[in-house]
Amino acid sequence: MITALHRAWGRYVRLTTHWPAVASIVPFIPFVLMWWAVVAAGLFPRAFLPSPVDVVHSFADLVYKGILPEYLQDSVMRLAVGAFWGIALGIPLGILIGMSQLAHRALWPLLLFFQAIGDIAWLPILVIWFGYGLVTMTFVIVYTVIFPVILNTVLGVRSIPINMHRAALTLGASRLRIVWEIVLPGALPNIVTGLRNGLGYGWRALIAAEIIVGTSGIGFMMFDARRAGSVVEILLGMIILGVLWYIVDSWILAPIERATGQRWGLVTR
Amino acid sequence: MRPTQHLLSALLFAAPFAVLIGLWAVLVPYFDVNPRLFPHLDAVVLAAIEGMRDGTLLNHIGASLMRVLVGTVLALLAAIPLGVAMGVSSGISAFLTPPLRFFSVLAGIAWIPIATLWFGYGFGAITFIIFNAVFFIVTYNTLLGVSAIPRSVRNAAASLGAGPWSMLTEVLLPGALPNIVTGVRTGLGFAWRGLIAAEMIATNAGLGYMLFVARDFYRTEVIVLGMIVIGVLWLLLDRLVLAPLERATIERWGMVQPA
Repeated sequence: MITALHRAWGRYVRLTTHWPAVASIVPFIPFVLMWWAVVAAGLFPRAFLPSPVDVVHSFADLVYKGILPEYLQDSVMRLAVGAFWGIALGIPLGILIGMSQLAHRALWPLLLFFQAIGDIAWLPILVIWFGYGLVTMTFVIVYTVIFPVILNTVLGVRSIPINMHRAALTLGASRLRIVWEIVLPGALPNIVTGLRNGLGYGWRALIAAEIIVGTSGIGFMMFDARRAGSVVEILLGMIILGVLWYIVDSWILAPIERATGQRWGLVTR
Repeated sequence: MRPTQHLLSALLFAAPFAVLIGLWAVLVPYFDVNPRLFPHLDAVVLAAIEGMRDGTLLNHIGASLMRVLVGTVLALLAAIPLGVAMGVSSGISAFLTPPLRFFSVLAGIAWIPIATLWFGYGFGAITFIIFNAVFFIVTYNTLLGVSAIPRSVRNAAASLGAGPWSMLTEVLLPGALPNIVTGVRTGLGFAWRGLIAAEMIATNAGLGYMLFVARDFYRTEVIVLGMIVIGVLWLLLDRLVLAPLERATIERWGMVQPA
């Protein structure tokens, strides 16, 4: 019995080295089975904890009705717009604060404080200013994404050895060229890390915003389902959120981070 | 640093805030901003004094902090033993990493709808949300920390005759501690945001509730006051408690990378 288990485990390990994707799917099988078993045992009323089959049914149903693809598109678009502005504003600001001592003195304490306020605490006043809608949500996401990007960019810019600047200067580089060829590549690994963190926070902020002020999107779907008391759709929403972020994070962002780290990371000796 | 230098750096840190508050005090009356859009400085100060005097502000702060404390302590009690137990075997920890990452993605806010449905509006739902935010991230980090302890260190302890208990208290826990503390800091960050969001939806006390009720009456001075309190509280918690704790554990127990 034990040797058979050992052999199966060995086969599994070999399989995952060939197809790493398998290793990120198989571990969920016991969880789903456990969930299924708990539901089948009837420990909780069905309305409280629906079975995996119900969730799959509701997935198929919502896709068929076209609600789910539309909401998903709304959520992802909002995140993309927010991420774009977060990057477009955050990186230049981070480079400015990282390079200028004066800007650092003037802005760093404010940055720490405004980051601490947190995205969600802005929602009530944003609703008063902009009403329920796209502006409010974009503001919240940009606000969330921008701080990790700025803070990490500053960290990256400041970690570039001063001798790099000096070397470029003695070779006759202009200020703009130093930014483009020394500062930006040198800070890039940190910038990407900041972006990854920022998007992680932004994703959660988006969900919160959709739950509280939304009129569409996955977060809205979950809260709408909560109002109707439909646990199936809430669970479906949670699973979609988790899977989507898992895919974005470990198949897109993490490889980018690794690649920039290898290409531009400073090897410290 | 000498005391005068301390004072100087504190002043430098405070200066931008003084400028910002000065601008607020001058510009808002000058442009005659509608107080329903943005409050005057004195209105916010009055709201703070009022809230202190009748105790409502302190009540809300107390309610929020209490929830964070209860949820976090419960989560740590469950997460650290579980993380250590799973991290001991490298096979199990590799196998369980994807589900743990999946659940830590959902941490906090995404649980709000189902938590309110399962536990009703109130203390239970909010504690559950905070518990979730802290639990999965700390478990994941503990597991990472334990599996990062070099095999040879554990072998050395075992060959010197360490029993399971001293292995746990002298090798595994200290070795994983830097990771655990980092996990607590991240988890609390998510928990704090989740708390504010949950309080907007699910209770009748707490800072998030205070903000959301104020919105219904267009009382921007209360909203801004709440935002400042939320920011200051988190800054104090993070900078004065969590960050020094993290630094101290890493200095004391952090693994020195072999050169």
